[in-house]
Amino acid sequence: MKLEISRRALLAAAAFAAPGLAAASRRPPIAIVMDSGGATVSIIDMTTRKVVRKEPTLREPSHWALAPDRQRLLISDAAGNAIFFFDPATGKEMSHVLIPDPYQLWFSPDGRYLGVNALRLNHVDLYHADRLALAKRFRTGSMPSHLSYSPDSRWMFNSLQGANALASFDLLGLRARWSVPVGSAPAGVMWHDGLVLVAVMGSNHVAVVDPRDGRVRRRVVTDRGPHNLFLAPDRAHIVVTNRVAGSLSVLDAKTLAVVAHVAMPGGPDDLCFAPDGKLWIALRFASEVAVFEPRTGSIDRIPVGRSPHGIFVSTLLTDAPALAAMRLA
Amino acid sequence: MIAAHPFNDLAGWIEQMAVLPILYRFGLMQWSELSFGWTLVALYGLFQMLLCYAICIPLERRFPIESWESRKPILTDVLYTAIARIGILPITTFVVFYTLQTWLDGFLADHGYAPPMLETIFPPLFGHPVVTFFIYALVLDFADYWRHRLSHRFGIWYALHAVHHSQRQMTVWSDDRNHVLDDVAGFLWFMFVGLLIGIPPMQFPILVLALRFVESFSHANIKMGFGRLGERLLVSPRFHRAHHALFAAGSKSVNYGAVFPVWDILFHTADFSSDFPATGDIRAPEAMTSGGYLVQQWSGLLHVLNALRS
Repeated sequence: MKLEISRRALLAAAAFAAPGLAAASRRPPIAIVMDSGGATVSIIDMTTRKVVRKEPTLREPSHWALAPDRQRLLISDAAGNAIFFFDPATGKEMSHVLIPDPYQLWFSPDGRYLGVNALRLNHVDLYHADRLALAKRFRTGSMPSHLSYSPDSRWMFNSLQGANALASFDLLGLRARWSVPVGSAPAGVMWHDGLVLVAVMGSNHVAVVDPRDGRVRRRVVTDRGPHNLFLAPDRAHIVVTNRVAGSLSVLDAKTLAVVAHVAMPGGPDDLCFAPDGKLWIALRFASEVAVFEPRTGSIDRIPVGRSPHGIFVSTLLTDAPALAAMRLA
Repeated sequence: MIAAHPFNDLAGWIEQMAVLPILYRFGLMQWSELSFGWTLVALYGLFQMLLCYAICIPLERRFPIESWESRKPILTDVLYTAIARIGILPITTFVVFYTLQTWLDGFLADHGYAPPMLETIFPPLFGHPVVTFFIYALVLDFADYWRHRLSHRFGIWYALHAVHHSQRQMTVWSDDRNHVLDDVAGFLWFMFVGLLIGIPPMQFPILVLALRFVESFSHANIKMGFGRLGERLLVSPRFHRAHHALFAAGSKSVNYGAVFPVWDILFHTADFSSDFPATGDIRAPEAMTSGGYLVQQWSGLLHVLNALRS
């Protein structure tokens, strides 16, 4: 498997294009890891691969979303009923606001809305991104888990982990479109090539869903417990984390055929791509971050706080292809 | 090499090797987000029981207050401990407390309020989890002091609580010797207070386990006090034994505090003078004292009926 990409010119361009980001590119790169079970955020120096400090949160940080201007990293704390704002370049906490049960969250591609899944409270909140004011609360089925958007920001797609369904919402009319069964305990959702991919965690496959009507068009078998999906910066591969099997499945982005399997014990969850091609993976049950080198297959492990969940690498601030792939997904 | 996080590592291993495959097999993967917490708490519970055994049993043998020919009545108390810590605690925490807290949070969110939380009420506490944990423990212990004191005040309630006091062979296992209705009332009260101050679901059972460890120790058959100052900071076997004394059974008891004696000092119910008196409740029926688990439970109900009639 080859996930290497050369993008030095793009890095420089992105750094100059975004105000304040040139300075970020000169700072030592860090990984920001959300320790769900430890109520902390671990800051790792990506060069030395050591945790340099831990920032407190209220209860249970889980996921992140980078603000459209890339100046703030939003970290959700569902049990703490709060969203924290971190400086994405330094990993310093800036402030936090109280919001009920924010689990997974993501900005719409046009930057207008922030979608927030409330897994415990069974609703999806849509906030005006500029002022975090509630625009609409959608009552959903049980346990809204992960979300994604269509690239034109017209539709939002939310997996409903307890209802075994995928729901879609129209962001123009702010109304529900459809909710269809996709399989047992669906988790990660990703827009890809005009389709919606859903990691069906209670099974062994990724459901490929038609965004127009929610019809499941095909199922791609990966491994037991697929949890989340990530488009590689080269856009040629999709990496699926399989929570029960403790593995990664690599899909060909065009055909969705599985091209590689990698053993990754410890409950792989969220991951990020670094500019050097390595994957930084949060291992929920091992309390570690794995740094996986796909060219050699080597894995370095970095102990972090309990139950690491979401992971953000500051290189995304200036790594245009990786960030674009992340936002596209 | 000793693992940096032995509990995390062991819980993670159990999660990956046993819990997740079971959830996956039975179509329950929607609970996989929470299950790691459950595994960890179960492990803490098991560890707490082992710790009780490892620390208290040798001390009970070395420094006993009393020696008995037959230790048979104690076996029933061991059963009580297992039922309370492996059955009642996880069920009340993960089913009742989690459901109630979710309902309360949803209700408040729908009405534009953020659920209460100690750190949002007192912002300086943010970032000091140990201090917050200690304050949660203090608040819960304060609430428990009043629950316990009221359970002695009202005859009908004490008739249930008498199951706890009827034991004449008080040991480390006696803490959980309670009528199941008394236990449920206690947990509901704990949960109410927990919800009021926003104890997160995962911290709740760990807090209960921490408090219960001190309570188990204070019930142990160990001739031990904590000294003049120590006795006033933490409930010792000497301090709590006075509460179980024959003369203190019923409405005129002393030393109601479970973990911190400060409440007894503040509310004038502290007795530091008693020196390891005999324990039990002479008014309790013999079936309640020396019967098996079910006999004691039934006897507790009958005792309540008698109290109602009188």
